[in-house]
Amino acid sequence: MSIEVKNLVKKFEDKVVINDISFKVNDGEVLAIVGFSGSGKSTVLKLISGLIPYDEGEIITSEGDIAMVFQYSALFDSLNVFENISFALRERKDLRKLYTHEQLQEIVAQKLELVGLQGIENKFPSELSGGMQKRVSFARAIVTKPNTILYDEPTAGLDPMSSTLIEDYIVSLKHEINAASIVVTHQMSTITRTADRVIMLYDGKIVFEGTPDELLKQDNPYTKQFVTASLDGPMQMKA
Amino acid sequence: MITFAQYYKKSATYKVFSELAKEAEHFTSTIGQIAQMGIRMVKRILIDGIEIKELFAQCERFGISSLPITLSIVGMTSIIVSSQVANEMVKQGGSGLIGMLMTILTVREVGVIMSGFALISMIGSSLASELATMRVTEQVDAIDVLGVDSVGYLFTPRVLSGILMMPVVVIIASVFGVILGGIASNVFSGLSYRAYFTSVWLGLYMKDLWVCLSKAAVFGGTIALISCTCGYFAKGGAKGVGLATTKAVVWSFISIVIWDMIFAMLFFF
Repeated sequence: MSIEVKNLVKKFEDKVVINDISFKVNDGEVLAIVGFSGSGKSTVLKLISGLIPYDEGEIITSEGDIAMVFQYSALFDSLNVFENISFALRERKDLRKLYTHEQLQEIVAQKLELVGLQGIENKFPSELSGGMQKRVSFARAIVTKPNTILYDEPTAGLDPMSSTLIEDYIVSLKHEINAASIVVTHQMSTITRTADRVIMLYDGKIVFEGTPDELLKQDNPYTKQFVTASLDGPMQMKA
Repeated sequence: MITFAQYYKKSATYKVFSELAKEAEHFTSTIGQIAQMGIRMVKRILIDGIEIKELFAQCERFGISSLPITLSIVGMTSIIVSSQVANEMVKQGGSGLIGMLMTILTVREVGVIMSGFALISMIGSSLASELATMRVTEQVDAIDVLGVDSVGYLFTPRVLSGILMMPVVVIIASVFGVILGGIASNVFSGLSYRAYFTSVWLGLYMKDLWVCLSKAAVFGGTIALISCTCGYFAKGGAKGVGLATTKAVVWSFISIVIWDMIFAMLFFF
């Protein structure tokens, strides 16, 4: 077990955005969290990563680092690619004295090779395309060899080829570092190509849990509405 | 039948009071945030120490890049004041005291408060918008997820550079102001440079200097801490960045005027 979420509740003022949800993700497994916008998907990632505190319940993670790939990459725009990827190794108290500059250069070069972007260490994020920024943010996320990786809409806004590339990285990282991964997405290709299991959130609650194939079968009114992108069904878009 | 509570909730009085309550809550929560960030930053300094390279980079920003605008503002204020005061002093037979008056005025007030205003508009606004942009683009979240304390990383070099560099800026700006005051007195009132610069030292005491430097350090730290805090807690997109920057400028202006009053009451009454 790498991540276990038990009876999690999160409220913003009086509004309950995560309402008593529980799930597990094992090492080497990818869980996709799907649902319409505003269903609480990204909030779950922020709760697991510790960016925001939860009100009730429990989150149990294995020892080790949690990494997160942000929806819009969140690269530090005042730092170049080398400084972005080596950030945690240079700035973290427990890591900053462990590596020489040459070692850092070697590590960064390895990570860039892994995401197919060799030789761009001196470029700044503004000089990269959206897909390249996303790949650099992958490299930055895995530099500390995390055992949990959280992806917040990793393929949103990318062209189909870049999306496929990113989906391949998610799958290859799963095999390479055996991390427990959670992918928040509403893109069907990302779900079917990367996920081992899927949970669907609506109104802060889990309304479906199963495999991508079970999601596509549309046995459940929620999955049917999601897969067919229909406006008619139990899920109502909020104004 | 409508109850009194329902009637009251619809009234203008209720609206005014609820707005006031909201503003009061906002005011106290901002003070709480500034104090919380200050304490967290000191804690990070004690635990993690100081990143010298980043501190130097911020010192350069706070000191060197702000100098032209600070010198312009302090210099022009000195010219304005001396051109008006010198004429009257010469008429009243006090030409021998113009240098002293300008020096006391510049060292005690004009140099430090005008430098403060210049630094708020130039550095404070840039710190707030920088951190606010980092917040709304999730860069601050990325720092925390990567295991680095965002307050320690972002606040420490910026606030320390404010504390260290503002006194330097104020010294240079004050010297510049006193010199320009002498030139303006000569040009507008015909006062000789000798008469002006001989009296410059007459009213200046060590106390004036160290109060001026302490005030500058407090102003610098306050401007940086408030600006960073307003940026750090920004919400929303471009509008949030704008609101955070405006808030940082307004709060910094008010804060340094309050500090100035406190210093004046403590040391010159």
